[in-house]
Amino acid sequence: MTTATIDVARALPDALPARPNRAVRYLRETVVLVGRSLRAVPRVPERLSDVTIQPVMFTLLFLYVFGSAIHIPGMRYQDYLLPGLIGQSLAFGVIGAGVATATDFATGVTDRFRSLPVTRLSVITAQVLGQMIEQVLGMAIVIGIGLALGWRPDLAGARALELVGLIALGLCAFTWFGVLMGMLVRSSDAMQGLGFAIMLPLSFLAGTFVPISGMKEVPRVIGEWDPLSTLVAAVRQVCQGTSSSGSWPLEHPVVAMVGWCLLITAVCVPLALRRYRRVTAA
Amino acid sequence: MPSSAPAVAAERLTKKFGPFTAVDSFDFVVPRGNIVALLGPNGAGKTTVVRMLATLTEPTSGSARVCGHDILREADAVRQAISLTGQFAALEPNLTARENLVLMARLRGYAKASAVRVADALVERYEIGEFRDKLVKSISGGQRRRVDLAASLVVQPELVVLDEPTTGLDPRSRQVVWSAVRELVGQGVTVLLTTQYLEEADELADQIVFIDHGRGVARGTPAQLRAQIGDHRVDVVATDAAGFESLVRTLGPVFPLTLAPEKRTLSVPAPREVLDLAAVTQAVAASGVPVAEVALRRPTLDDAFLALTGTPTDAQDNQLEVSV
Repeated sequence: MTTATIDVARALPDALPARPNRAVRYLRETVVLVGRSLRAVPRVPERLSDVTIQPVMFTLLFLYVFGSAIHIPGMRYQDYLLPGLIGQSLAFGVIGAGVATATDFATGVTDRFRSLPVTRLSVITAQVLGQMIEQVLGMAIVIGIGLALGWRPDLAGARALELVGLIALGLCAFTWFGVLMGMLVRSSDAMQGLGFAIMLPLSFLAGTFVPISGMKEVPRVIGEWDPLSTLVAAVRQVCQGTSSSGSWPLEHPVVAMVGWCLLITAVCVPLALRRYRRVTAA
Repeated sequence: MPSSAPAVAAERLTKKFGPFTAVDSFDFVVPRGNIVALLGPNGAGKTTVVRMLATLTEPTSGSARVCGHDILREADAVRQAISLTGQFAALEPNLTARENLVLMARLRGYAKASAVRVADALVERYEIGEFRDKLVKSISGGQRRRVDLAASLVVQPELVVLDEPTTGLDPRSRQVVWSAVRELVGQGVTVLLTTQYLEEADELADQIVFIDHGRGVARGTPAQLRAQIGDHRVDVVATDAAGFESLVRTLGPVFPLTLAPEKRTLSVPAPREVLDLAAVTQAVAASGVPVAEVALRRPTLDDAFLALTGTPTDAQDNQLEVSV
């Protein structure tokens, strides 16, 4: 490794290899940019805590503090709660993805990348992939804690695959949603605030912690049609074989969740790509 | 490949944000091998011009070619030819200085091992060594700007675009940036920089373009503009009206005076700067009239605008940011 071969005085022009074709560049750039996102994660404690401490806290809080007062007929509370938390984590992916995206836009990092001769699609692909990997980490922690605290999912045969499929679809939908939101909001603080203001109540109404059927009329109706309810109910149905009722989506949660996720993805991906192309930071 | 086309040739470049026109029919040429300064107060449209040329935002109308490539139709070629250092040092704050340089090198197309070598060479070249392994979010603004500059030089671009490279920097970091800019031009790179500092444009640029309200209001070499703006001057401020009167009587026959009685100030052109200051100081001392102040003044950005356009800049905060 001879530094001498690099002509520092002429700003290192000759070491640059020939440019591969677009597809190869796209893949390479995406990998490099995902690496950049992941490397940054452990260095931002608050970002890391969103996917680690927070789900752990929810699990412990509901299992040991509120759980003693909550009785779900026919099942242990661990088995009720954990699928709910998986659904909640999927939905909270919006916040993580939104905050990371808003930060990149606000600090000018995205502009820096966009001013380089990189394929522009790679910048946004890496944003989405990086976020998804971060969410998978969070999901693994939730599942790990749950199993350690006595959660016993019934995932014989194809149901494990079904669960993985649902989680992957949910991650994809909510991460794209978050990336779009982050580009629209453009301030990480606002994104954090807005995200929690919307997602937290929706996740409480979604039958995550207590059954929707026992709620007063107004929250019950909201809960029955809350998209997050379908996530929770679908994961719970796959993991524990439960059924739910109250509205069409709750009676067919897996179909409804797949529908919601496909719809969100179909709406958010083109909007996010369009926004990304047009976005002009001040 | 470098061609003979000018580094920048913009015609009637216009950018509107809703009803607000940020850049208004801006014509602009940057010849190869020059340093051109785009000079103007806050909000004049400098950054928007730069963003359009760097293909970060599309013009509402008008066109531009950068190093011979159309900014709309050949954006990728433009991005290969240029290198942009933004106003807000856009580095990844959660990576170290060195990791940022490696990242930029990899995105420019270097394989991993050579990206590391390139980064290390830049660390050495721009004296980043002492903070190379610190996270960018924890280093100072001046250090960050140095890393930022190095990050934009992982390849040798044809055109380096620096958006307010020294705004908010301490004098030492400013010197580092200035010498880096001069060195780049020495290597045949063209530099386009934006600045709010008349002094900086004067110091570095071959050509200065004044921009205000999105319009090019004057352009020329520093010498041409200085001739229009006027040079340094010595201001003598009297303690009272009587002192002012007697100074006018004493200095009037000797120096070409400009008078501002309401401020009790006499101004003497000072093309020889300190020598003229000394001459005026001597004459004042010899007159025995007490004075509040004798000072050598550089024309401010406001003076320049006044001289060139006949209207003062209306950016209130601008005065504070202009160095004298």
